[in-house]
Amino acid sequence: MNATVIIIFLVIVAMTLVITYYAAKRTNSTSDFYTAGGGLTGWQNGMAIAGDYLSAASFLGIAGSIALFGFDGFLFSIGYLVAYLVVLFIVAEPLRNLGKYTLADMINARFNAKKVRGAAALSSITIVVFYMIAQLVGAGALIQLLFGIDYLWAVLLVGVMMTIYVLFGGMTATSWVQIIKAVLLMVGTVILSFLVLQRFDFSILEMFAQVKTATPHGEAFLNPGVKYTIPLDTISLMLALVLGTAGLPHILMRFFTVRDAKTARSSVMWATWIVGIFYVMTIFLGFGAAAFVGSEKIISTNAAGNMAAPLLAQALGGDILMSFISAVAFATILAVVAGLVLTGASAFAHDIYGQIIKKGKASEREQMLAARYASVGVSVFSILLAIFAQNLNVAFLVSLAFCIAASANLPVIIYTIFWKKFNTTGAISAILTGLISALVLVSISPSVMNPEAGAAIITGTPIFPLTNPAIVSIPLGFIGGLVGTLLSKESDIKKYAEVKVRANTGGFRQL
Amino acid sequence: MSKPIAETNAELARSKGSSKVKDGNTVSDSRAAGHVPDFLAIESSAGFKELMKKKKAFLVPTTILFLGLYLLFNFIISYSNILEATFIGDISWVWVFAFSLFAMTWILVTVYMKRAEKFDKMAQDTLKEFNYDKEENR
Repeated sequence: MNATVIIIFLVIVAMTLVITYYAAKRTNSTSDFYTAGGGLTGWQNGMAIAGDYLSAASFLGIAGSIALFGFDGFLFSIGYLVAYLVVLFIVAEPLRNLGKYTLADMINARFNAKKVRGAAALSSITIVVFYMIAQLVGAGALIQLLFGIDYLWAVLLVGVMMTIYVLFGGMTATSWVQIIKAVLLMVGTVILSFLVLQRFDFSILEMFAQVKTATPHGEAFLNPGVKYTIPLDTISLMLALVLGTAGLPHILMRFFTVRDAKTARSSVMWATWIVGIFYVMTIFLGFGAAAFVGSEKIISTNAAGNMAAPLLAQALGGDILMSFISAVAFATILAVVAGLVLTGASAFAHDIYGQIIKKGKASEREQMLAARYASVGVSVFSILLAIFAQNLNVAFLVSLAFCIAASANLPVIIYTIFWKKFNTTGAISAILTGLISALVLVSISPSVMNPEAGAAIITGTPIFPLTNPAIVSIPLGFIGGLVGTLLSKESDIKKYAEVKVRANTGGFRQL
Repeated sequence: MSKPIAETNAELARSKGSSKVKDGNTVSDSRAAGHVPDFLAIESSAGFKELMKKKKAFLVPTTILFLGLYLLFNFIISYSNILEATFIGDISWVWVFAFSLFAMTWILVTVYMKRAEKFDKMAQDTLKEFNYDKEENR
């Protein structure tokens, strides 16, 4: 680890701590803690959404994947981006108009039943835990590589930082860490893209032509089929990505940080531009790494290709640029895990403690305490899990999180807003069917079961053939909600009229 | 959940309803008493129905369009090679289609932002018709 890395790294840490200090002064109520008082502007929240969404897996993972597998490495990005149309058209505005702090609040605006809230909290917590393990294990491995410190210390470092942000600065600190990270990430990616394009005389055609000769895959590199060879598996995964984003609790929570549906909308617009432009630039990073670093060197540093971007930075801009890119990757990790801690804490402290156990009658002070205890609890639990999961292959957990979000959360959101007959039984069965089917199918899939000893968590022949069960579990989530609704005679037309009016007009908000 | 609504309506009544009480048997009268607004009446009002119709007319076809094109892309690249034909130089039609999906996303977001302003206005009008201004509820 050289001096530049340490300085840039310390500057970022110091900057986020200063933010947390000022945020802590402004965090006096539960509304401040969970939603930054609902006072973020469209561009601020848009940047924060991008900062929450573009994980290290997006930055280092996709750049590396493109460098090693060409078009197939880029494929996911299409799903990640188009997903924002689902968020914008279906989810963002009703969520802002109906909810307060969590997804469960929004569904409970219609049903007001503890069981529904419990089920929604359970699926949110499951998604957060899986996403978090993947992020922390990935972060530990990355920081080990980037800064040359032990896995254990790396996980502890990230863990302690995220706890400090959330515990003291709540959503205000988390949002600003995410905004700063989004800026740093975009600056870093623009610099790298510019340097790559310069080497190709700013000609995209030249870039494609040269990359083709630089990789061992040759022409196949520029077309689909290098990495993903099982059609149904690819389609299932792509379905999880496009429908999952609109059900990810940490993304949904961001919509409560703005004052109204109009601002929620404009934050999606900002996020779509930032995320989309970023994904376009990962192509330059990936192709650049393939051409100027070479797949042999990328693989020898890290088999998954995660070091492609930092190595490219070193090849094009020397140690200083590499240090900067490494620091950006570190900031990226911090911003994402902080958002996850806060989301997990809100499900425990607001949904389970505040609304279910205390029946919504907890005092402001009790709620704040619960929120802070839950934040520490979620952090400690995730750090412990990440330490034990060090040697497990957990990369599939991110796509599993998208799959659960699409199967357990999206059906219930859509039914709640659009279906007149939908009822309490339907809501519970939609969430549980989606959640359980996704979990069960994944646990018997090739992601968990592999005949080769040590390649996956269980040694054995997979029973379910697809690595991602979305193509089965999403329809099951919808069917679960349908069957549950029809089995119960309960229906409340008046309540639906209320939800429909409030979701579509933004009026009659309770704050 | 219904209780906080009643509370906000009570607040609303305090801030606004008092001046309207003398109007006699108007909508605001019932609010002044702290009653939940008649959502069934709002839902079946011409203005709200028109809003829902306009929203549907935009959202249903566009959602089918973007999800359809997205799935079509995935099916084509998974089951056939036709997009691997050359577009220009070493760039195949796969990239062209992929970028069309990016462009589609940005275009639909922009178009929706414009449309949604109209929806906002219609929603505002509906709320006003029922003597409810959402600005006051913040």
